[in-house]
Amino acid sequence: MRTAAGLAHALRELGGLSGGAGALRIRFIGVIVFQFLLIVVFTALAPRFLTWDNAQSILFTAAILAIAACGQTLVVLTGNLDLSVGSIMGLTGYIVFSIASQAPGLQPFVIVIAIVFGVALGAFNGFLVAVLEIPSIVATLGTLSIYRGLVSFYANATEVTSGELPRWMRTLAETSWLGLSSYVWIALVTVLIVGGMLRMLPWGRQIYAYGSNPRAAHFYGLNSTRIVIGAYIGAGLIAAIAGLLLGAQVGNINSLLASGIELSVLAAVVIGGVSIWGGTGSVYGAVIGAIVLATINNGLVLLQVQEFYRLVLQGGAIVAAVAVDAVVQKRVQSATTRRRIMGVEA
Amino acid sequence: MTRLLRTYASELLLVVLIVLAGLWSSALSPYFLDPDNLLKSAQFFVIFELMAFGLFPIVVLGEIDISLASTLAIGSVMFASLSISGVPLIAALPIVLAATAGLGAINGILVGYAGLPSLAVTLGTMGAYRGLAYLLGGDAGVVGITPEYLLLGSSRIVMVPASVVLALVVAGAFAVLMGWTAFGRYSYAIGSSPRAARMAAVPVNRVRVMAYALGGAMAGLAGLVWVSQYQSARGDNADGSILFVVTAVVLGGISIKGGSGRAIGVLLATVLLGTIQTGMRLANVPGTSQALVVGALLIGSVGLPRAVSLLRQRFSSSSLSFGAQGGGA
Repeated sequence: MRTAAGLAHALRELGGLSGGAGALRIRFIGVIVFQFLLIVVFTALAPRFLTWDNAQSILFTAAILAIAACGQTLVVLTGNLDLSVGSIMGLTGYIVFSIASQAPGLQPFVIVIAIVFGVALGAFNGFLVAVLEIPSIVATLGTLSIYRGLVSFYANATEVTSGELPRWMRTLAETSWLGLSSYVWIALVTVLIVGGMLRMLPWGRQIYAYGSNPRAAHFYGLNSTRIVIGAYIGAGLIAAIAGLLLGAQVGNINSLLASGIELSVLAAVVIGGVSIWGGTGSVYGAVIGAIVLATINNGLVLLQVQEFYRLVLQGGAIVAAVAVDAVVQKRVQSATTRRRIMGVEA
Repeated sequence: MTRLLRTYASELLLVVLIVLAGLWSSALSPYFLDPDNLLKSAQFFVIFELMAFGLFPIVVLGEIDISLASTLAIGSVMFASLSISGVPLIAALPIVLAATAGLGAINGILVGYAGLPSLAVTLGTMGAYRGLAYLLGGDAGVVGITPEYLLLGSSRIVMVPASVVLALVVAGAFAVLMGWTAFGRYSYAIGSSPRAARMAAVPVNRVRVMAYALGGAMAGLAGLVWVSQYQSARGDNADGSILFVVTAVVLGGISIKGGSGRAIGVLLATVLLGTIQTGMRLANVPGTSQALVVGALLIGSVGLPRAVSLLRQRFSSSSLSFGAQGGGA
């Protein structure tokens, strides 16, 4: 116990930050350490694990999850959830490619169409949460069903086959640049853009401000409705693009594309240290969370162990992550309270 | 009388919707209103109803448990395994219910005593319990269940399938539990304000653990119904059904923020969802398209009051400011 406290103190000194910010930095370092431990353990158990080919395949698997996790991060930062992410991906992936296959003239513009869909679906989520004040878990549980129902209604049990997809999307899915799949680069660019926007733009700062204390943000004069809807629109847009990429990767798309992925996305975000209470965490953490999940899946497949271990390890990682978050949260809180008291005294 | 109407407004709305859905279904197919068909269709929703009632006190507490479907799978696999190894049902019942209640209690301890967010905790245990179910059930699942375990799914008590009777008994029991016992009153108090409840000396964490344990036990019981109806058990049983269960609870007027809602609402919501799904099946609407209606119902029922008040506000304010702004849509 004493050594743990000492270690925390030493790490804080290392971070050069007091209380709260130090705890958050340690949380971020913790995920990286966990990822590193996974690599060490898997390498020890399966030598094939630590090869360039395998690393490529892990990153490729993680890419789409990481992109979707970026969008989810925006919403979770505001203290809400988006359970409909899988349905947005599925709906956009199916309908956009289906439209493109019927009207080949539209094929170069699939991304534009997907963005329109993503913005609309995300805005609807945001409207339900911010304007109608439906708790986000209920609202997006509803839209999860509605969006999935819409695509299944539209699809009417047919498939979009890989031959019908725009040629350039298929090529993109199979291309590698500098030894890494194009998807990994797209994920990297997405993360940097979203991370940069969260850091630099007022939009991003407002999301953090609103997420850490909605009341304070309101008193400060921030428009909470606009912030929440903005976060959902961002999440919808990113999910739509992820759906498009997933569709091009899968090839033969049916109406069940990406169903159930919301739980993996949420797991990535939670493991990556984005607090479910809102206000703390970063897209970079979420991406590492996605890589952790992909590493667990990949390593356990190599070890040829039962599904049991994969699910238990994944579940355990989620519970451990939120347990650490609770400790961090307490530290952040006590740090801010202490500062306030000192301010009053001074 | 008007007070009664106001108190039970959401339940009355559900009854009206059930009647409408029933009329629509019977217009689709003359077989729908046949009592035998109705009772047979009702059987398929007993599993969901039991899980919904298991979730009900947890949601009243202001928490959530999305691991219940995985707990059900553990329950069904355990019942099936005990059955083929010759354990009589009367002995298996307490074993399995205790085990699933224990799994629920783990969630409760993590949420209550450790103070972790329930959605994230049960997201984790949802995976872990599903894994456990796969481990216990093996790849092929368990078949060859003894007739004793199938009784619940095949026997009838005066025309009514035994599982439907069980569902009604459970609904009655939960109405009593939540309405007239200390546990129930504590649950509403905690759901309204955990801090106030703690100051009023409510054993907050103990009630939370009890609610989660109860939820686990109900999922275990639903596992028995599963085995009796499908005559087999596998690790992937009821995978993905938790969304339907949460929908039923929320549609039943149980506020997801905690502190309000009644057992009768949960029962009516399950009946409504059951009626709609049966009707759509008769109309040959594929399963995933049915989700569209279920989701719209969920959002409509929760969002409608707020939407109405927003509209009313807008119209009243625009009529007031008519002179100043020259009106506006």
